[in-house]
Amino acid sequence: MSEDRQQALASTFLHIVEKLTFMFGEPVALDEIELSPEPWVEARMQFQGAVNGSLAVIVPESLQPEIAANILGLEAADLTTPDMLADALREMLNVVCGHVIMTLAGAEADFKLLAPQHQVVPRERLADLLEDADSMGFTLDDEPLLLHLELERG
Amino acid sequence: MAFNILLVDDSLTVRSVIAKALRLAGVDIGQIYEACHGAEALTVLEREWIDLVFADISMPVMDGEEFVDRLAASGAIEHLPVVIVSSAGSGPRIQRLKDKGVRAYVQKPFTPEQIREVVDKVMGVTSHE
Repeated sequence: MSEDRQQALASTFLHIVEKLTFMFGEPVALDEIELSPEPWVEARMQFQGAVNGSLAVIVPESLQPEIAANILGLEAADLTTPDMLADALREMLNVVCGHVIMTLAGAEADFKLLAPQHQVVPRERLADLLEDADSMGFTLDDEPLLLHLELERG
Repeated sequence: MAFNILLVDDSLTVRSVIAKALRLAGVDIGQIYEACHGAEALTVLEREWIDLVFADISMPVMDGEEFVDRLAASGAIEHLPVVIVSSAGSGPRIQRLKDKGVRAYVQKPFTPEQIREVVDKVMGVTSHE
């Protein structure tokens, strides 16, 4: 991914996440991301149309309650089911993805977002993502976060 | 006048956030109904009096575009204001939906003030009680 594109995507991502969650983030180099031993989870969705590919947000499991609580305006302790946490992460991705595509392809681009999926990321896959040129590193309220954008070439 | 409002989105998070925004914005709410997709929303509409619909585009079973198509085919969209709330609001798609009778589009993320503004606009509210 070119540096210009990375900067545009990082700016879009941070702006949208701040508006949606009132959490503040900043880009960090992938080699500065520390993989905490807890499980990491991802929300990933595919998009089709003016551009085709997939976008994923990958976070340590412990960051999910904070994201969900901020989106919903609740206390993290009020979020009692894993479904609520997964749904909130999928929704954050959904909102980010629409804006990322418009950053890539313009506001007039016609595209379709497919249903986001939520899953635990296998440890070896996580290590691969940190080496992947399509990954970008961030901190969100001082917690690590990865954004992974795969675009179909053509 | 209190409005009965139907929220159509497969995400509980989104339905909760829109409901909260409506309350924070001071919209006069009668009852809030919820549906996970367009087909479920059509069932609610057969059963309940609804004044205003907020619907997503990307949903399983029946997406927002097909839902709007059904309302347009039955003529219901002429007297039932439908507002699309989505992050997938590309210009051409929004125009297609407006051509079919959708009254307004709200792009996520949104503020309670934006929700209030769109309710006032589509429901013809001219003053805040």
